[in-house]
Parts: sequence; C-alpha cells; structure tokens
Amino acid sequence: MKGALAEAKTGMFDRVAMLFEVIDMLPEDMSDEEVAGLLAFLPPDASKSLGAMLIPRVRKGSMAFMEMLAVWLDQAKHAKEQGKKAILVPFCFPPELIHCFDNAFPVTSEVLSTLGVVALEGQGERYYDMALGLGLPDHICSSNSIEVGSMLGSNDFRPQAIVSAAAGSCDINSKTHEFVARYHDIPLFMLEKPVDDTERGIAQYYRNYRTLVRDLEEFFGEEVTEEKIRPVVEKHNRCCELYMELWELHKASPHPVPNLFALYTYGCRFSMWGTDSGVEMMQVLVDESKKRLKSGEYPAEREVARCLLTYTSFYFDLAGMFNWMEESGYSYLGDGLNLMFPQPIDPSSRDTMLDGMAEEARNMPMTRQMGSGNMAMGWSADAVFSVKELKADCAIYPGHHACKQTWSAASILREELMKRTGVPLLILQGDSWLKRTTPIGVIQEQISEFVNNVVIPKQSGRKKVRRRAPKAESED
Amino acid sequence: MMDEVIRLSETVENDCVKEWKEAGKKVVGYACVCTPAEIIDAAGLLPYRIRALGNPRTDIADSHLARFNCSFCRSCLQLGLDGTYDFLDGLVETNGCDHLRGMFENWEYVKPSPFFHYVKVPHQTTPDAMEYFTEEVRLFRKGIEEGFGVEITDKALAEAIERQEAIRERLRTIYEMRRGAETAFTGAEALSLFLLASAVPPEKFLELADEAIEERKGHAVTGYRARLMLGGAASDELQLIREIEDVGGMVVTDSLCYGARAFWSPVDTKADAAEALAQVYLGDLLCPRMYDDYPRRRDFVFKAVSDANVDGVVLMHNKFCDVHGVDNVQLRMDLEKAGIPVLQLEKEYGSKADIGRIRTRVQAFLERIGGTR
Repeated sequence: MKGALAEAKTGMFDRVAMLFEVIDMLPEDMSDEEVAGLLAFLPPDASKSLGAMLIPRVRKGSMAFMEMLAVWLDQAKHAKEQGKKAILVPFCFPPELIHCFDNAFPVTSEVLSTLGVVALEGQGERYYDMALGLGLPDHICSSNSIEVGSMLGSNDFRPQAIVSAAAGSCDINSKTHEFVARYHDIPLFMLEKPVDDTERGIAQYYRNYRTLVRDLEEFFGEEVTEEKIRPVVEKHNRCCELYMELWELHKASPHPVPNLFALYTYGCRFSMWGTDSGVEMMQVLVDESKKRLKSGEYPAEREVARCLLTYTSFYFDLAGMFNWMEESGYSYLGDGLNLMFPQPIDPSSRDTMLDGMAEEARNMPMTRQMGSGNMAMGWSADAVFSVKELKADCAIYPGHHACKQTWSAASILREELMKRTGVPLLILQGDSWLKRTTPIGVIQEQISEFVNNVVIPKQSGRKKVRRRAPKAESED
Repeated sequence: MMDEVIRLSETVENDCVKEWKEAGKKVVGYACVCTPAEIIDAAGLLPYRIRALGNPRTDIADSHLARFNCSFCRSCLQLGLDGTYDFLDGLVETNGCDHLRGMFENWEYVKPSPFFHYVKVPHQTTPDAMEYFTEEVRLFRKGIEEGFGVEITDKALAEAIERQEAIRERLRTIYEMRRGAETAFTGAEALSLFLLASAVPPEKFLELADEAIEERKGHAVTGYRARLMLGGAASDELQLIREIEDVGGMVVTDSLCYGARAFWSPVDTKADAAEALAQVYLGDLLCPRMYDDYPRRRDFVFKAVSDANVDGVVLMHNKFCDVHGVDNVQLRMDLEKAGIPVLQLEKEYGSKADIGRIRTRVQAFLERIGGTR
C-alpha cells in the first residue's frame, strides 16, 4: 500500500526521467527483434508510443530524438546538484537564452507534458485529475494542467523560477504559469508580446526582451557575455540551416519527411535548440529524409493528400495520428508549431546576438501568429504562405479545446484559406493531450471523410476544369 | 426614479441613445474596462459600452466563434451581427482577453464598422509598459480625431475627464450607500445604474444618478438572508443578480468589471491627460488579464469584504473564461484560508437553463452561511 501511494505521488518529471534513463541505454541500431522484446517489456501505453516511434522507417530519427531528450532530462534532473537553477519555460520561449547561462537550465512545460502523455502509463491523466482536484477548470489547457497537476499535486521537481512568454498570445498559458508561481512562491519573469506589428510594437518587444535578460542575469547572478552567447548562437544558426533544409524537403512529392519528424523538429526547437544535441538530432532528421527522397519510398501506395495542420496536433496516440496518416497516404507537411521560420543570427556582437534572439522569440509559434495585431490575419498569412510553398491539398485545424484564441480565429482562417488558396480547411474538435475528449478513431474517421469527400473530388474537379478549357477553344 | 433607470438599462439602444442619434450625433462602442472613454467623450461622441444584457441567442455568432469561446462574447457578437448594434458609428477594440479579441476580429471581418481603432493594452505595469500605453492613449486620441474629422482640444479633453470622473464619483456614492449596515440599493438596481453610466450621455446619467441617490437616502432594503459580494467575470446579467437576490442573497458589493473595477480609481484631473488616463486604465487596472498583479486584486476583494461587512463571496466565471477561471481558484483558496465563505460558480452567460442550477447552489450556499437579516 505504501509503495502504491509513493508511486501515485511520484511526479511526472521523475517518472519520465527514469524512463529515459532506460531508453538512453538502448543501442542506436536496434533490430526488429530487439524492438519487439523491448515493447513487450514496457507497460501498454509506453509500449504503444514507443512502438509508433520505433517502426523501421522512423527508427533512426526517433532514436536521435529520444537521445536528445535523454540529455535534456538528465541535465534538468541534475541541474540542482550542478549548482544550476532549473527554469520552467513555455514552448513559445526560445530556450537558447537560458542555454547561454552557466547557472541555469530550461525545462519546457509542454515538452514535459507531451513526454508524460507519450511515455507514461495512464498518459498523464492522473496529473490532469490532480489539477482539476485543486479546483482548476476543465477548460484550461491540458498540457498546462498535466504539468501543474504533477508539480502541485505530487512530489515532483520544482523549478526555481518561471519565464512566462505567452502574454499577448495565450491567456491560459500565461494564467497557469502565474498560478504556479504564486502557489510555489517563486519568481515569475514575464516576456510580453505587444499585439502590435508596427515598428513601435516591435521595438517594445525588444525592450521587453532586454529587460528579461537583465532580470535573469540578476536572478542567476551571472552576466551573459558575448563569449557565452556566441557558441549558442552558432549552434542556433546551424539548427536554422537544417530546419530550412527540412522545409525544402517538405516540398517534394511524394513527401519524403516522415510525419513524426514534424513533432521532433519542434520538440528540438522548444528544448535543445542551440546545443550540440539539438544540432545532431536535426542532422539525423535531414539525413533520413534525404535518404527517403533519394529512394522515392513512401509508406502508402501513393500520396493521396498533402495536409498542412494549422495548429497543435494530437499527441496522445502517435501511431494513430502521425503514422496512420502517412500509411493512409496523407502527408503531414507540418503543423502550426512548425510555423516559426527561424532565421540565422548575426554573431558579430552581444547586441546583434541579443537582438537576433529577441527576433527569434518574436517569431516563435503562437507568439508570431496569435500575438500579432490581428490573430486571424497573422495566422492566416502563415497558413496561406505554407499551403502555397508546400503545395498542400488541404488544411486541418486540429482544434484543441483549450486554445480559445485559435478557436476565436478559426472561421476567418477557413475563409481566408479558401479565398486565397482554394484549399479547404477541416476543423476538428478534440484535446491534443487527452484521449478522453475525442478518441483517435473518431479523428481518423473525420480526416478520412474530409479527404475522400472534399479533397479528392476537389483535386479531380480542378483537373476537369483544366481539361475543359482547351477543348472549348478547339471547338471555337 | 429607479423604475426609469431599470427601464432604460434593459434595452441596448435605449431612448437616450435614440435621441442622441436623432440629433445627428455619433456613438462609438467599446467593450473592455481598459478603454479610455474620455477620449471618445472629448470628441463630442457618445461612448457606449457594449453589452448583451443576458441575450441567450448566439446562433449567428456561433458560425464565427466556437462553442469553446465565452458565451458573453458570443452573445455580444450576435447582437453586433444581427443589427442590434447598427446604431454604432465606430468600434474600439482592446485586447482584454482571447475571447474578446476574437469577438472584435470576427465582428469587423463580417460587418466592418465605419470607424475601427485598436487600443493595445499591455499585461503588466512596468515603466516600459506604462510608457507604451501612454502613447497608445495619445494614438487613440489621434485616431478618433482623424476618423471623425474632429479636433480634440486639451480643454475638451480636460472637461471630458472631469465629466467621466463625475460619473465615477456618483457610482462610488451609490456603492457606498450599499455597503453600510442598511443597504440603500439592491445589487440588481446598482447594476442597472452602472449599465446606464456607459450607455447614455454623461449629463443624462448624472441627472438620473443624482435623483436616484436623493431618493434612496435613508432607504433600507430588508428581508434578505445574507450580504454577498459578487466577483469574477464580465457580467451584465441583471436577471442573474435578481435570481440570487430572489433566494435571499443581497449583493452589497462586487469586484466585477461591469461594476466596481470600472470606477474604483479616481483620475488625476491635474496631471497630463494621457498619463493620467494611462494610470487609471492600466496602472490601476484590476483585472485577471494582468499576470503579475494578483496581490492587488486579492487585496481589493478583501477590503471590499471588510468594508461591506459581507457574509460570503460568490465568484463566478463564464464557461471557458480562462483568466477568471484560474484567478477565482486562487481567490477561493485565499478567502477560505481567511475563513470567508466562498461559492465558486461556473456558468453559461444568459442561459435560462443554467438559472435553476445557480439558484440551487446559491440557496445551498446561503444555508451554509446561515442567518437572517
């Protein structure tokens, strides 16, 4: 009984870290038999997720991703004993700044929640229930509430401070981090994005960023010097190059980038971007995609539809979402969290580097779209650009019920996509991190119906229009 | 007098607005408590705070906003799109919350207003944020001038600030008259007066408010079971307060944005106009959208509880309202720690179906508090 209680009170971070200690011991090149043996040994939920990640066509990329996360978790876990402060950051905050400090390490809340959902038995739902047990409403973001439930309801790791970077782009993210900071009585550092795309608004954001840097320097008792920033910036720049290579690869048909790599790309952006581990992982994604491009392999008989997902995906069933789409011929060109368009930073001085990092922060997903002067138009601009660039046949909004700001703008996005690209948008309702809201089978059915009844007829309709025109001319 | 106040406050386009329009004058709508209405007033325009008055219909709005958006914003959008707000000559957006932003974006997308201006309000009160917002106030003044082809002189602005301050002062008096041992206004009556303050010309409101204050001097509302404070989300639902009071809970004070939060802080009429307005509308703003300012909100609630000798606090939020939904949890924890009874209510805006449930919960809460006054 005592053991059961202790297990129930173990926090998500500790449980995930323990699991990744095991994963880190796995050989890089695992045979199918070894994978089968490993999956049989794991609890069902973890086995299902790892099974999705270790299918042969994505195994190498997945191993690289898990190794990167093992390093991240290990450093986060041992931050305190190494005299570092663990700082909780949201996904929309580029972690490079924290990586520049000797005395600090970033722990990204949404990455942690996603790992909990993917890797733990029960998929983090116990922590979600703990958050609701505190009285928090069920309409707050499950990614945040899973993390909050774990941090406040169990003996989980406790950050020394929080950077809140969603002010201006997401109420609930900002509100949850405020709540945790007050509950734990730890400092909350805010990086606000003015909802203002004018020069004045951009200048204000840069000012806010510099204030944050100064506040963090004071908190960590350490100055981020040019010498400390430059190596991180150089690795950031390398990550950018690799991101752009992947972006170019996404344009090819059939789609050579395995669907799951979209998740791995931003998983890296939100945690180890600007580090050696991040560069190594991104390199593997590019290499693996190039191999597939060269071989012309594609998991389905043919590429049926090229799909751009316009916001967060569904993470509670990687096999049922990412792999199923690919095996059905539905290419996953990326989702809203991939729409960050990172740019290289000028490394010539501390000022150019800090301004470059501020610009990167301003362009993080969600901040860039929902933090713009007009949410719907900022979001539509990126979606329209990506649909055209990546030659998408359709767009899918995987509506996460807690994303009130995207729900506010989804109907305008649908109109704008249709008007400016002719591409239809499927609006789904579910929860990105909880299977209990909309089961994956229902999501699959809705995507299939959309592709079969809207996208495919539209594709053939377009061809008919094109064929008709010359015929009419010849008749004349 | 109160009958007239209630009659006028229960209609979106009330008689005073109609008269104003018939005189060829213009009306500018805004929704959020952070909007400096003085700028609109100084231009000779009528500042009108958008409301839904408990409208339960959202069928048109639902094809633009989603069911995951707050029903108050959907209800306002409905009235914007169904023609109820066609009397508005302009709209002023603020980034009060994600739902409100969506409401304005969809309203403007579907039915563009002849004049539209966006006042961007920071979520913190650092010196940089205050400086930015002060400039926003100046830009707002310029936007109104350009949009309506008028000049807002310093004198006109100073007079508008004094007029709006006089409105705040009357509202503070009305609230003061509710806080004593014998409350002079019911909560529903106070809300009616509050709603009128931002829906009729200032002179008209001052006249009505003065008469109401005079009429209620020495008046005591009796026959209730407990003195309640109402806190939480945007609510202009007269009927909701009537239902709470109908079961015996007299609302004697509040911390609502359609309530005390909108007028508690006086404007410094001697300071630079833009700076003074920035201080009131951002520096003194009590709203859970401010993410580093919880202690001030908590202190405001505790002071109101003490000043009005409250028996219990009802914290409500509309379903899907994140800022109040989370803030209310923190407030509940702090109030309970201090031994103050709290009822936390999640509700749908304007839903008649929700009323029965709310009545039952308030009745149970009153049972818990006990006592008869």
